[in-house]
Amino acid sequence: MIADGTQSNPWTRAQRACVESLHIRLESLVVLIGLAAVMTVLSPYFLSLSNLLNILLATSTIGVLAISATFVLGAGGLDLSIGSVMGLAGVVGALVAVNLNWPWPLAVLACLLAGAAAGNINGQLVTRAFVPAFIVTLGMLGLARGLALVISNGRAIYGLPSAMVYIGQGRPFGIPMPVIIFVVTALLAHCVLAYTRFGRHTLALGDSEGAARAAGIRVAHHSRIIYTLSGALAGLAGLLFTARVNAGDPTAGLNYELTAITAAIIGGTNLFGGRASILGTIIGALIMGVLQNGLTLMAVQSYYQQMAIGAVLILAVFIDQYQVRRESRV
Amino acid sequence: MSKRSKWRVAAALGAALAVASVGIAKADDGEYGVLMKTLANPFWGAMAEGVKAGAEKAGVKYFLQAAESDQASEPQLNLCNTMLQRKPVAMITAAISSTNLLPCLKAAQDAKIKIVDLDNNLDQTVLDNEGIKVTFHIGSDNIAAGAQAADYLAQKLGKDAKGPVLVIEGLSGNITSQKRASGFADRLKEAAPGLEIIGSLPGDWDRGKAASIANDTLTAHPDLAAIFCANDGMALGAVEAVYAAGKGDQVTIIGVDGNSDAVKSIKQGRLNASVAQLPYLVGEQAVENVKKALAGETVPESIAVPTLVVTKDTLEAGTDPLLKYLK
Repeated sequence: MIADGTQSNPWTRAQRACVESLHIRLESLVVLIGLAAVMTVLSPYFLSLSNLLNILLATSTIGVLAISATFVLGAGGLDLSIGSVMGLAGVVGALVAVNLNWPWPLAVLACLLAGAAAGNINGQLVTRAFVPAFIVTLGMLGLARGLALVISNGRAIYGLPSAMVYIGQGRPFGIPMPVIIFVVTALLAHCVLAYTRFGRHTLALGDSEGAARAAGIRVAHHSRIIYTLSGALAGLAGLLFTARVNAGDPTAGLNYELTAITAAIIGGTNLFGGRASILGTIIGALIMGVLQNGLTLMAVQSYYQQMAIGAVLILAVFIDQYQVRRESRV
Repeated sequence: MSKRSKWRVAAALGAALAVASVGIAKADDGEYGVLMKTLANPFWGAMAEGVKAGAEKAGVKYFLQAAESDQASEPQLNLCNTMLQRKPVAMITAAISSTNLLPCLKAAQDAKIKIVDLDNNLDQTVLDNEGIKVTFHIGSDNIAAGAQAADYLAQKLGKDAKGPVLVIEGLSGNITSQKRASGFADRLKEAAPGLEIIGSLPGDWDRGKAASIANDTLTAHPDLAAIFCANDGMALGAVEAVYAAGKGDQVTIIGVDGNSDAVKSIKQGRLNASVAQLPYLVGEQAVENVKKALAGETVPESIAVPTLVVTKDTLEAGTDPLLKYLK
């Protein structure tokens, strides 16, 4: 497939970008389908429409967060705060809806804005104060979590309006709402990253900041947008979480940042930037989702599931490196 | 070529999983699903052992899952949804919050699966609003636990005893803490009316905070007779403050839970008593009662599992049959 892509076909750049993005997708898709086949054999409950929807539902929150991680990692950045930011955003949304009793669309907006604001602060500190992203977002991880606990008094906020709960629990046409939101977000994000100038600039920035600057990309400005976008997507994940469990929980999203980054990397995103695919990330998240689901169906204790996901992460990156080395030898 | 190597990975994964799955029983008809908060905590570990013992005794199959921590509310909901795919006849669930499992419990009810509220985590008002009917709630009776502490105090000091008593609650507004504190206060009024509760303050389940509350109260009331804390951690904090003030012999300190640190302190003669919860018994009785309910017998809507007052004397005598459930 690599060879096909590099042949001089009379293709437009967009078409080639399309194939290149599909390339990553097909690779991990094979693993995903293989895993699903194994689960089908091992558990009689795996292959059913209701279970497949169940896997998508279980993947939706972490999937949205993984999209956020893909943008940041692709741009050569790192955002460790997304799990905490989603917790904060969910609490803010719940406070607006329950304590202030404002209409639900404002609460939804508050979730997204709270996330975007936290992300924007990350971006400002990284690009203007020149504090390393690891430090800034590690600090924000503590700040956002602490703030969520402070404004909620450490307790979950119950009693969301039914329209907001519908976002997490409704099933139009039998499809869970979080799945619809997740799929639409993923498709939009995929198009943005794969087919727009914004997306190309993002990956160029991740490939080489110096080269991107030389090419006339406003590097700092672009980074700030990426971090803000990352925060806003974390806010969306927080909204889904809150609506699913019907409570603004200040502990929501604890350790989710690591799971999200894991999904992105299993999906083929380079931890050091320059290469990222949203579809790849979605497949990475689904690989984890299928693994967890299948092992739960086989009544394997959840601790083994964490081990399995850790092993798959290392395996995925190993395969990746192996191929990179082979290709560079050719 | 790259594709082939991915297939190889898939095959290797498959082989690994196949090996891992040897010995995993296929789901049987009539299986119970048990979903805990977490297993990374001795309380839930003891309850899981009780479930196992109850299932062996009753001759039923079950499969148990737990979230990675007692704060992982969404992951627990995902586990719950997935467990339903195995079509168990009953779901025994210890929900992380009063709302996080509701969508799953609703689906369970639609599928005619019996629902059990393990350790009283669900709120009846919320359940009624959602139209969910649980077969029964089961757990320690926290009001009775508070009352037992009051009885112990009245017995130790005598029912005509006089003096100030301090109550240290958990997080303000926490239902478990409220029940323990009110159970204690109500019974103390009858059992030893001379013992007056001079304050009922939130210690936030925090050992250090409880220690400073005890310290401050001792300054204001040097004749303090007793301290009742809504859990053992806070009671151990109070013990430190009281001994530091040199009033270890004067102040009777009682906690709730019966955790291993508390038992150690009781053996050393520092903490006077702890009203122990018996999670092992909760797990065992949950399974037994599900079996009864499935057989069509009537089961009470709320099952209170006894709690046990642990003191140095009961530990040394070792005769109380409930002691063997103390983990």
